[in-house]
Amino acid sequence: MSAPVVKVQGVSKIYYRDETPVPVLEAIDLEVAEGDFVALMGPSGSGKSTLLNLIAGIDRASSGRVEVAGSELSALSETALAAFRSRHIGFIFQLYNLIPVLTAYENVELPLLLTPLSRSDREKHVMMALDVVGLADRKDHTPRQLSGGQEQRVAIARAIVTDPTLLLADEPTGDLDKKSEEEVLTLLQRLNKEFKKAIVMVTHDPKAAACAARTVMLEKGALVSKP
Amino acid sequence: MKFLPLIWRNAVRNRLRTFLTLAGIAFLLFVLIFVMTGLSEIQAWEGVAATHRRVVVQHAEGLMAELPIELENFLKGDIISRHAEHVCKFNWFGGYYQDQKNWPPEFAVDPETMRVLFDELSFSDEAYRKFSETKTGALVGIALMKKYDWKVGQRITLIGTFYPVNLELDIVGIFTTKDPRQEEQMFFRWDYLDELLKGRKVVSTYWMKARSDEDIPKLKELIDAHTKNSSAPTETITEKEFAAQFMQMMGNIKAIVAVIGALVLLIMIMMTANTMAMAARERVTEVAVMRTLGFTAGQILGVILAESILVSMLGAALAIGSSLLIFNVVKLSPDPIYFPVFLVAPNTVATAIGAALSCGVMSSLVPAIRSARRKISDGLRQVV
Repeated sequence: MSAPVVKVQGVSKIYYRDETPVPVLEAIDLEVAEGDFVALMGPSGSGKSTLLNLIAGIDRASSGRVEVAGSELSALSETALAAFRSRHIGFIFQLYNLIPVLTAYENVELPLLLTPLSRSDREKHVMMALDVVGLADRKDHTPRQLSGGQEQRVAIARAIVTDPTLLLADEPTGDLDKKSEEEVLTLLQRLNKEFKKAIVMVTHDPKAAACAARTVMLEKGALVSKP
Repeated sequence: MKFLPLIWRNAVRNRLRTFLTLAGIAFLLFVLIFVMTGLSEIQAWEGVAATHRRVVVQHAEGLMAELPIELENFLKGDIISRHAEHVCKFNWFGGYYQDQKNWPPEFAVDPETMRVLFDELSFSDEAYRKFSETKTGALVGIALMKKYDWKVGQRITLIGTFYPVNLELDIVGIFTTKDPRQEEQMFFRWDYLDELLKGRKVVSTYWMKARSDEDIPKLKELIDAHTKNSSAPTETITEKEFAAQFMQMMGNIKAIVAVIGALVLLIMIMMTANTMAMAARERVTEVAVMRTLGFTAGQILGVILAESILVSMLGAALAIGSSLLIFNVVKLSPDPIYFPVFLVAPNTVATAIGAALSCGVMSSLVPAIRSARRKISDGLRQVV
């Protein structure tokens, strides 16, 4: 088996509502190997998105270790975490979260602005990413001029444009119609198989989960199965 | 530079709001430039006045009261001439040319002494000879000549308002100086004014040049002591004090300018802060997304600050551009009598830019810091 891209060991996360501790994740252990495609399932409030956020380095664990692409995230400063996300993480949101005032091209280019790439190199990367998601011809459209499925494909292009180590998708088909859902899932499978991207996808939908190589179930903040 | 499209698109995202903010900033900065230009014009006169050793004798009750013609003999006499020279009668005429919008600053002077007393004026010997020989002669500043498209040899009529007579003047020469304000002035002969006033011998002020700086206090003491118990007691002051006193007639303009400046800045900051706070609230999720993509808190801070500075600077460009056009190109003056020249100075432009920059930074600092510091996970959960 290939080296793990994600190594979660004994991770707990506690939120505080006023002063009352609310445990969300308890003693989670999870590994995701290079080229793996993991579906993270569970009922609402089971801690799926929290676990995804911990792996993405946008939230910090209360205890335990989260290691992604060889970096122990709790040891990184906020600035180092930002650099880590920029280099290793591609994040796909349920509601696409494109910047509405930017075109598809500019949205995809956004993560590249943080790199030292020249304008022409950025253009090559952006056009390649838009090509992969089949939207090169819509590069000048703003999000408002795109359908939900197209918006999500642009969001996927934005997630892959920096060639990240890991793709994290939080309910990527949760807001899409059936046809768009199939398109997005096919695209994720292609990214996993063809481009060997490790993917962790949070989903409620068993059909979406079926596209993954394996499924991990979370219930009340604990892993209940780990095939 | 590569963030500029993002900053620009965000700035014009809500066009009406941005336009209103920008127009508000432009209007307020225009007001600031206007009052500051007034102040700098006053200070410019005081500054020029301070470079000469000229002394002004006026009635102790102020400029509107008349001085006796007999005082001239005392001023030209042995006692005073040890300390001063070139005594010149000097009356402001206060007339307009053709229309009450046109108030060229016209002064009645003695041709014999005006050339040496006002030695910063540069004109030809021929012009001065004609001025000395022609009772209706006038020496006109080059800027004034251009303003009214006058020509040497032309006869012009100035309608009196302060004095109940009109002047029929023949332009005999043009003068230039280093100070553009003085080039908006004109001089004619006091004896011509006196002739029109039927020999009433009205003198507003006497001007003279102190022989040295040390002579100035002596002159004040000697002249004012001489007239103390007369029907026309005098107040002898320097030209700088004269300029300052003239402008004090408009009130404590420096304090007014300071208050207006502070208010302008405060209102600008409050207005822009409101816009930026609204913009930041609307973009909580977007900021969280950008930080998820790898933007640091500092970069977010920079993008929001840059947006606010951009809007403020566009407002400044509008205000500076329009004021330069109105005052420096078209050369409009809010009051041609008090301000024959009303030019926006480079330091006023710099102050307006500084005010816009401060407004841009101060108005967006709080929303920018809040946005940059908000936890990403909280921002992603926010429903706007």
